[in-house]
Amino acid sequence: MKRIGLLINPVAGMGGAVGLKGTDGNVEEARRLGASPLAKNRARNTLALLSHDKNLDFVTCSGAMGEDAIREAGIQKYQVLYHFTGESSALDTRQAAQTFIKDGVDLILFCGGDGTARDIFDAVGRNLPILGIPAGVKMFSAVFAIDPVTAAEIVAGYRKESLRDSEVMDVDEEAYRAGELKTRLHGIARTPALEGKVQLPKQIFEESDEERAKGEIARFFHEIMIPDVLYIIGAGTTTEAIARELGVNKTLLGVDAVKNGKTIALDIDEKTLWTLLEQGQEAKILISPIGAQGFILGRGNQQISARIVRRVGIGNIIVVATPHKLRETPVLYVDTGDPGLDAEFGNTVLVVSGYRMAQRKRIYHAERG
Amino acid sequence: MQTKILLYEEQIPKKWYNVQADLKSPLDPPLHPKTQKPIGPEDLSAIFPMELIRQEVTTDRHIAIPEEVQEVMRLWRPSPLYRAHRLEKFLKTPAKIYYKWEGVSPAGSHKTNTSIPQAYYNMKAGIERIATETGAGQWGSAMAFATMLYDLECTIYMVRSSYTQKPYRKSMMHVWGAECLPSPSTKTNAGRAMLEKDPDTPGSLGMAISEAVEDAASHSNTNYALGSVLNHVCLHQTVIGLECREQLAMVDDYPDVVIGCVGGGSNFAGISFPFAGDKLTGKHKEVDIIGAEPASCPTLTKGLFTYDLADEAGYTPLLKMFTLGHDFVPPSMHAGGLRYHGDSPIVSRLVNDGIMRAVAYHQSEVFDAAQTFARTEGIIVAPETSHAVKSAIDEALKCKKTGEDKTILFNCSGHGNFDMSAYDAYYEGKLVDYEYPDELIKESLARIPKIS
Repeated sequence: MKRIGLLINPVAGMGGAVGLKGTDGNVEEARRLGASPLAKNRARNTLALLSHDKNLDFVTCSGAMGEDAIREAGIQKYQVLYHFTGESSALDTRQAAQTFIKDGVDLILFCGGDGTARDIFDAVGRNLPILGIPAGVKMFSAVFAIDPVTAAEIVAGYRKESLRDSEVMDVDEEAYRAGELKTRLHGIARTPALEGKVQLPKQIFEESDEERAKGEIARFFHEIMIPDVLYIIGAGTTTEAIARELGVNKTLLGVDAVKNGKTIALDIDEKTLWTLLEQGQEAKILISPIGAQGFILGRGNQQISARIVRRVGIGNIIVVATPHKLRETPVLYVDTGDPGLDAEFGNTVLVVSGYRMAQRKRIYHAERG
Repeated sequence: MQTKILLYEEQIPKKWYNVQADLKSPLDPPLHPKTQKPIGPEDLSAIFPMELIRQEVTTDRHIAIPEEVQEVMRLWRPSPLYRAHRLEKFLKTPAKIYYKWEGVSPAGSHKTNTSIPQAYYNMKAGIERIATETGAGQWGSAMAFATMLYDLECTIYMVRSSYTQKPYRKSMMHVWGAECLPSPSTKTNAGRAMLEKDPDTPGSLGMAISEAVEDAASHSNTNYALGSVLNHVCLHQTVIGLECREQLAMVDDYPDVVIGCVGGGSNFAGISFPFAGDKLTGKHKEVDIIGAEPASCPTLTKGLFTYDLADEAGYTPLLKMFTLGHDFVPPSMHAGGLRYHGDSPIVSRLVNDGIMRAVAYHQSEVFDAAQTFARTEGIIVAPETSHAVKSAIDEALKCKKTGEDKTILFNCSGHGNFDMSAYDAYYEGKLVDYEYPDELIKESLARIPKIS
């Protein structure tokens, strides 16, 4: 039996259709422009597919934050644990999530966008897995299923011990509205994932624990580190595992620098990075793509700017990711903000995925496909 | 238009061809793992019968195939040589493509060519039981079949990832009366040590070899058998190439290109050594011999030519070969039979000497080739074999560009009837293109100070 806490952000996605690029703090404006709520319908699609699943037990919030969609999906047995009044807010989202934790749910299934993911993550951290039904304007976070149907498949089919790390992204809405994408890695949540639907032959390795894969990548990286080279290490739990193997400090969400087995600087900004690279310092960049989304540069690590990449050289970028993450990330993207530089990345990139092992992955280029 | 070129049963080769006889200088000897001195026959006698030890080191050009072995080989030999008219037409190539079809053996691949004589010589030496390993299950099933014929018991250590996920190979071994255990197992010291170190290990061929060798060395009635790599195994496989040469002569042809897939090297050795001999002795200096290997385990294209252990635990002699390191655990790809860190010392030597060359391919492109082959010639090949198919298609397409009408011969080493889940994965877009990150490895090796 799985106990699912369902939470809907009723206004998620409303700003998108009317060109607001986000709904946070803009609900009234969105309504005025004629936007209608759509999160409920998206959630209902998922819930309808789960309505006959006897292994699921639902708890939710009142009205538009969950109950309405549950009822319309034909689910009879559920409990309302959180009541809100008036317009639902980010505070409601966080409080509802905390109520679910106290209740002992196995998973929080939410319907919303990046903002909703962030609020829920702030409440639950890595203590409880979360999964998003995509309904927002922006969904740069890796916690979302690709569509409502897949969300239902995951909820019905995942095993409680089969969890993945997924990035929660923070997008600066003000800048976004001005046409600029500023993303920051907000945190790394735990999400459920389906293992290969069919048990493929000879793939036990890939089905084995993701932590083990991180350890293998770290062991390999330790072996190939070169003295006197500055390593610029991006965010994430895979790069964190590497830092642990090297015995150096590393921030989970920031960009750090390591040289000769020692941390040179933590959570560095672009300017400091540039300074570190002066005087011909030889360097390598170690980064991991954002899960599911597939960006290796340009999302959450904008400190590693186009000029930094040019200075270090594309050939000195080492991309790492676990086989688990790569399986859910079919194509990789580069968005340094400099189209000429993006084009210099070839059509494929080698991604280190284990001890002395890598995978050849495709990089998508808009003009080339 | 002749499609199948067939020999009579009387034309089954009576002798194996030993390419060691035609090497310009002797092979570097195997070394003892502890003393690092060349090993003698007595070092091997604990696990191999004397006749196979003799075949391992002899430089005699020809070795007679025992009557009793020829008798069994009649079950599937001589195997047919096909002219791939439909594939040629599909590719619109001026090249002539021939393939030797070894999937007609009871176990479904070339492996029976050596499992039969190995079981036979062990039976003759009074051995009662064989311990061996298997990766994808081809060798294990071939050995189960052979030991059954000579009334020997058989224990097979099967790489764990294949054991759980390729159940029908295991079933075949049971039908032929063999015992099949997942490796690492709790039955041997090596297996227990590995499990203690890493309970979730998917296993590897190197680990399974350690277990089988330990089993054989610790039971006096038991010998060990290896399905590839060793010289006597390659020797037994030469019936493939010897038949091909006869069959091509029947249609007045001789190959410009000879191709096989390479894991440990035995099927490649089988089809190519007779032609390599022609090249070494100057009869046909121009023949181009190509080994096709996986990009994820690129022993010949990316490995070092040096002495290394043949197994994980260090029970086997050190062999001079191309190697990625005996501690390298290749990724779990579908061509499980090609997941081996090293390579046959003879194949390695011939590649190092420039008599042969190697190419490496990704999984998805070899399955593209396998699909083309199945849709033109009809045969659904094993994932291992698809590497040879891919190389043959590449060579034929080169001919299309240059307009040359070369004769291309490849070894179609086994069928893929137990590998359909691999084809499913291909159609579901789930194949992963693993690659050995050799640039990163080499760059770091180049800068690490040499400590001796």
